[in-house]
Amino acid sequence: MAKILEGPAMKLFNKWGIPVPNYVVIMDPNRLEQLGEANKWLRESKLVVKAHEAIGGRFKLGLVKLGLNLDQALEAAKEMIGREIGTSVVRQVIVAEMLDHDEEYYISIAGNRDGAELLLSNKGGVDIEDNWDSVKRLFIPLDETPSIERITEAAIEAGFMGEIAERVAKITSRLILCFDNEDAQSIEINPLVIRKSDMRFAALDAVMNVDWDARFRHADWDFKPVSEIGRPFTEAEQQIMDIDARIKGSVKLVEVPGGNIALLTAGGGASVFYSDAVVARGGSIANYAEYSGDPPDWAVEALTETICRLPDIKHIIVGGAIANFTDVKATFNGIINGFRESKSKGYLENVKIWVRRGGPNENQGLASMKKLQEEGFDIHVYDRSMPMTDIVDLALNS
Amino acid sequence: MSILANRDTRAVIIGGIAGLNAARRMAQFDFLINRPLTVEAFVYPPEEGQHKEIYRGGELNNVTVYASLDKALEENPQINTVLIYIGASRAYQSAKEALDARGIKLVTMITEGVPEKDAKWLRKYAIEKGKIFNGPSSIGIMSAGECRLGVIGGEYKNLKLCNLYRPGSFGVITKSGGLSNEAMWLCAQNGDGITSAVAIGGDSYPGTDFVTYLQMFENDPETKAVVIVGEVGGTLEEEAAEWFGAEKRRIKLIAAIGGTCQDVLPQGMKFGHAGAKEGKKGLGSARSKINALREAGAVVPDTFGGLSKAIKQVYLELQAAGIIKPEPELDEKLLPELPPSVQEIMKQGDVIVEPLIRTTISDDRGEEPRYVGYAASELCEKGYGIEDVIGLLWNKKLPTREESEIIKRIIMISADHGPAVSGAFGSIIAACAGIDLPQAVSAGMTMIGPRFGGAVTNAGKYFKYGVKEYPNDIPGFLNWMKQNVGPVPGIGHRVKSVKNPDKRVKYLVEYVTNQTTLHTPCLDYALEVEKITTAKKDNLILNVDGTIGCILVDLDFPEFSLNGFFVLARTIGMIGHWIDQNNQNARLIRLYDYLINYAVKEEREVPDKK
Repeated sequence: MAKILEGPAMKLFNKWGIPVPNYVVIMDPNRLEQLGEANKWLRESKLVVKAHEAIGGRFKLGLVKLGLNLDQALEAAKEMIGREIGTSVVRQVIVAEMLDHDEEYYISIAGNRDGAELLLSNKGGVDIEDNWDSVKRLFIPLDETPSIERITEAAIEAGFMGEIAERVAKITSRLILCFDNEDAQSIEINPLVIRKSDMRFAALDAVMNVDWDARFRHADWDFKPVSEIGRPFTEAEQQIMDIDARIKGSVKLVEVPGGNIALLTAGGGASVFYSDAVVARGGSIANYAEYSGDPPDWAVEALTETICRLPDIKHIIVGGAIANFTDVKATFNGIINGFRESKSKGYLENVKIWVRRGGPNENQGLASMKKLQEEGFDIHVYDRSMPMTDIVDLALNS
Repeated sequence: MSILANRDTRAVIIGGIAGLNAARRMAQFDFLINRPLTVEAFVYPPEEGQHKEIYRGGELNNVTVYASLDKALEENPQINTVLIYIGASRAYQSAKEALDARGIKLVTMITEGVPEKDAKWLRKYAIEKGKIFNGPSSIGIMSAGECRLGVIGGEYKNLKLCNLYRPGSFGVITKSGGLSNEAMWLCAQNGDGITSAVAIGGDSYPGTDFVTYLQMFENDPETKAVVIVGEVGGTLEEEAAEWFGAEKRRIKLIAAIGGTCQDVLPQGMKFGHAGAKEGKKGLGSARSKINALREAGAVVPDTFGGLSKAIKQVYLELQAAGIIKPEPELDEKLLPELPPSVQEIMKQGDVIVEPLIRTTISDDRGEEPRYVGYAASELCEKGYGIEDVIGLLWNKKLPTREESEIIKRIIMISADHGPAVSGAFGSIIAACAGIDLPQAVSAGMTMIGPRFGGAVTNAGKYFKYGVKEYPNDIPGFLNWMKQNVGPVPGIGHRVKSVKNPDKRVKYLVEYVTNQTTLHTPCLDYALEVEKITTAKKDNLILNVDGTIGCILVDLDFPEFSLNGFFVLARTIGMIGHWIDQNNQNARLIRLYDYLINYAVKEEREVPDKK
């Protein structure tokens, strides 16, 4: 799952013949002046300026400005670029033509196990949630492209009429092509607008998710996916992602501010159950973390050090199931080195560490973890006979 | 009994090194339960025709690598299962071919990062073909006592701990690979173990689902209860609940569902598995899955840790109802031990292996090489030089400063002697013929022998003999030499003579005698010998080989090392000549006719062969 920004989505729409307003993405506000000289639409249309970043609630933050002329757009761009929102900085803005329009429509496609579902409504825009009942749904089975007649029929059922229904159907059929050929997981256009005077359509806003695993067959994907966690990645998260991209196996981290129980858990499945156990027992997690697929010890060490630096933590849960092929001794060596390093830097004071793990070389791994007691760590080590998430209960009852 | 994989399963693995590792793990299981090898072929075009070595216990098997699945199946028609270990970009094509193949009933894929569209297609294709496509991202399938597909079950020790050598009463279906292993362990720890365990993979659109396998377990009389481990995302768990609640089922259902923490976490937060994502309006949330399963009558503990108790409880109930008859535990000692490697046994001290070679000078087993115990970097740090390394490796002693200076000079004056001598000329001819450095230098090196540079050892050896056996009787020594050896090695020169002395010899002798305190009995003796031989013939002087040999004997270097000094020194020169010829882009050379006396028969006709 990879959400992509508006700019790249517009580019893909263009490629598949889906009408979009004129737009430019810029990093340097001064570039807008030159672009203005080159592009008539920038000089003559009303413009909208939006921060081109994965920041939720842009409107409220003043990161969307409407109805501007070129000078005002330049001002708005200067104001936005460089603004710090929480941990992130606005680095790009998208400047688009603000199309005067008569009506707003809604089109979306979302993949499912058997194909995809198309949603159509002639009551698009901000009120779509209220008009959810008016949405026409059309199931598109895998390996079938609905005929233009079938789509037109659906458009008519959704309340579109005459030439508009035909045009909407045409745009929809192109969207289906785009969805299918770009390995999209979901595309939502809201609103698709129409200016009836010249029957001009444009997708004013789009949310698109593509399958990042399919990037090997898309040479023209020159974008990167944006954070899917509703906020930009922190520096620590970014660092771990960079390591993750370089290694065999994987290491993952998401920070959860305000929590006091840190997770240093193994396995995509087990790590979730550890988070659940903390929440179920009334605790609050300081992060979600996971390492799996027998990653190198240095990567686990880096993850460990990052987790030890999380503020205000009281417990670290070094949990995991009985591994199939991740070497417990090797990965634990990474964790142990990370603990030692962190302790020497003054972290881990008054932090209790709880360990439960099994798998290849479990005895050696657990034994060396246990030895940390002799170095003054407050560490509690359990083997496979301890039910997996019960160390969370022990931590919270301690 | 079991589902999916059994004693009749024969598999081919598509993929490279990861597939090979899996095959080796699978063979360990084959050994544990004493069944024939499960993996009978590999498909991996880059290694076509190779054979992979796979040990089943102590028995070594060679498994063939084929370029295509068709070819593998043609030669191994008994194969009915395909394991896909190939990269994500080629996984779809491989799986499709496998599903097309006639004898194949089950295709299971471990490959991670397969595009969703491909997985969806494969699922649909498998359903159309009436076959099972398990995965992507599946750690594998385990049928206790019957068959292991993939690395599911982990290391050998764990196979025993989880009682996988014989069937139990629990079925296991998980999305997660790690938790399939954990669940098998829980079934052994709190029950009597498993019949089969299947990991379906944590992707968004797995090829199969819980319901498919629940139905299989329902139809397998040996399976009395099933443990499923699901998680947030998709609707497979809800479908399982629906299936379980739809009618009275023979099997009991126990479930753990991950992802309840999502209620309190940042929205859209990504978990470990690709498929672990909540849909709109709570669709596929862990909470809705738990509720659905509980309503359908499944036992769902509130944390994963609670699974232990739940399994135990179900096990005891089934036992009380007479549905499960507990089997006496097998004595672990009856199970075979994996034959250890020689290194492993040696570590335990249980075996003695007679070493093949012995070394007394150098050890590279630590962080860096040690020469006779001294770390190379420490020698550098403390200001030692190349002469000291020679002293250590050739004589196991660190030379004194004075001795080092002599060694250094010996090498310096012997490093080269122009292009005309046999060694350099050999290297030059080779360089001109386009031969690479090591071979060209060895061509020159081959020349070192009795007539060129190779007299150092024998000179040192015989002068030493003379010092010992004929200390004050040089004519006696010369007589002995004449009778037993021949010309004295180290005496005599082609062009140099008393009137035209060898500057190198003069310098060395003067340096050693006048500027060092080295005691030189052998050199002194050789100089006495020279006085007598030069009286007989002007060019029977102590030559450079003889001088060096004697000085090295006086330095206490062992006899065998003496020629080494010339070889080492002259290597510097030969490398220099090779570089020089190459820098000049030298062309192939051959002797001119006029430098050869063609003392051959006149042209004549070849007679008919008799």
